[in-house]
Amino acid sequence: MSSQAQRSRPEALGKRLLREHGEVALSSWMRLWRNPITNLLTWLTLAVALALPGTLIVMLNQAQGLATQLHTNNEISVFLSQQTSPEQATAITQQLQQRPDIKQATLIQATDALQEFSLASGLGDILDSLTDNPIPATIIIEPQDKDANTVSQLADQLRNQEAIEQVLIDQLWLQRLQAMVETSQRATWVLAALLSSGVLLVMGNTMRMQMESRREEILVIKLVGGTDAYLRRPFLYSAFWAGLMAGFLAIIIMSLALLLLQPAFANLATSFNSPWQLHNLGIWHWLATLIGSCCLSMLAALLTVQNQLRLIQP
Amino acid sequence: MIQLEQASKRYDDKTALDHANLHLPRGAMAFLTGHSGAGKSTLLKLIMLMEQPSSGRVIVDQQDLSKLSGNQIALHRRKIGLVFQNHQLLEDYSVFDNIALPLKVSGYNNADAGRRVRAALDKVGLLSREKQLPRVLSTGEQQRIGIARAIVNKPRLILADEPTGNLDPKLSAEIMQLFEQFNQVGVTVLIASHDLSLIDRLPHPKVHLHQGHLSGAFVGSD
Repeated sequence: MSSQAQRSRPEALGKRLLREHGEVALSSWMRLWRNPITNLLTWLTLAVALALPGTLIVMLNQAQGLATQLHTNNEISVFLSQQTSPEQATAITQQLQQRPDIKQATLIQATDALQEFSLASGLGDILDSLTDNPIPATIIIEPQDKDANTVSQLADQLRNQEAIEQVLIDQLWLQRLQAMVETSQRATWVLAALLSSGVLLVMGNTMRMQMESRREEILVIKLVGGTDAYLRRPFLYSAFWAGLMAGFLAIIIMSLALLLLQPAFANLATSFNSPWQLHNLGIWHWLATLIGSCCLSMLAALLTVQNQLRLIQP
Repeated sequence: MIQLEQASKRYDDKTALDHANLHLPRGAMAFLTGHSGAGKSTLLKLIMLMEQPSSGRVIVDQQDLSKLSGNQIALHRRKIGLVFQNHQLLEDYSVFDNIALPLKVSGYNNADAGRRVRAALDKVGLLSREKQLPRVLSTGEQQRIGIARAIVNKPRLILADEPTGNLDPKLSAEIMQLFEQFNQVGVTVLIASHDLSLIDRLPHPKVHLHQGHLSGAFVGSD
């Protein structure tokens, strides 16, 4: 006579598991609200630990977008030698325009450049007193391919051409900006890793305390034949719910933080003449935060619960 | 049902069981006697797999317990109804939920569990108490709830560790009657007790434990 045969009505395994999981999910959800303050504080701790790197990651990913966008305006300024006549300048510009790797070559004749400069600088009188125009004719080149390497190769080729005095690529500061964004991104991932271990530790400790407070129950369940899987289940669900709640709180914190940062970033973008703006969280950020939070929380529970179950023996 | 073959259990400073042999047949009811600290609890713990013997073998229901591990230990315990001296009821569980626990861990649904819990409560005469918390019950009632929990899964073996330890003689006699009723329907019952005045009046064989050595009924020669 096995314990299976004693059962008055057989139930399909799948159905039984579904029912058991449903019951445990519900009861561990109800249990959350027995100590709402304590739980809320735990969730907030987890949420802050998640929101900090989360906000930084979202922000820096978008900042990289800004840097790339600025990069697309990357231009080469070609300064012709003083002796070049306006006709020669026009001819060189047309010649350059023929090149397949140049999208647009715009000539600014020496006289126009001087005029523009005197207007912009307010040094008109002084410039007027000069007999020679000190400003050379300039060709602004928009390359076809905006990749940094290609652009600098193109610049090198132009440098060797006759009548060209100087070639400038306005990209050094861009490289610096990109390097800064990349460094910050790496630093953020390190921070995220550290804070994730913080989440694991906080959650692990919470689970350990939960199990300690239910020690009697665990002992009795072990003695009446509860398997480790049965004992583990309520704690894993409780960790799942905690992860979900912490995830929601993290989303709220991150949204508020990004909302506060938006005006500052708008100013920054304006100073670069860029229409770029900081977007708030999208649906994928929501999903990633919730899934990440639940996974971290359940991983912590899995590691702790298994160990505690081994320690709590009748 | 229970077989001990040269089973010994040594703790750091003392020997609780010394090369013990025992053969308790299926359907028997026996008392395990001996003064407190004689190793009665140790013997029950070996049968429950709460402890492993230092040497020798413990066989329950033709199964060598040393070969069980993980979930098999849990499945083994489901076959045994255990009654404690201090009843071990969970304070924040209702009477019903306490008794339903062995059914829950075996995966019974609520309807089946409810039927069985009420049958068990009926058997111990406390059907009206199912919604109450254990602490509002008297000691005798708590002990009967503990017994209801031990029998709800219809185990083939009941182990009881000083089940009447905290009870007056009249209540103790009632508890013993309950065990006799279970035994009459074929359940093997082993009761550890040092309440000699009570068990001497009952017609069941006794196994005596003294300084780790077994003597009396069902004890093979060693």
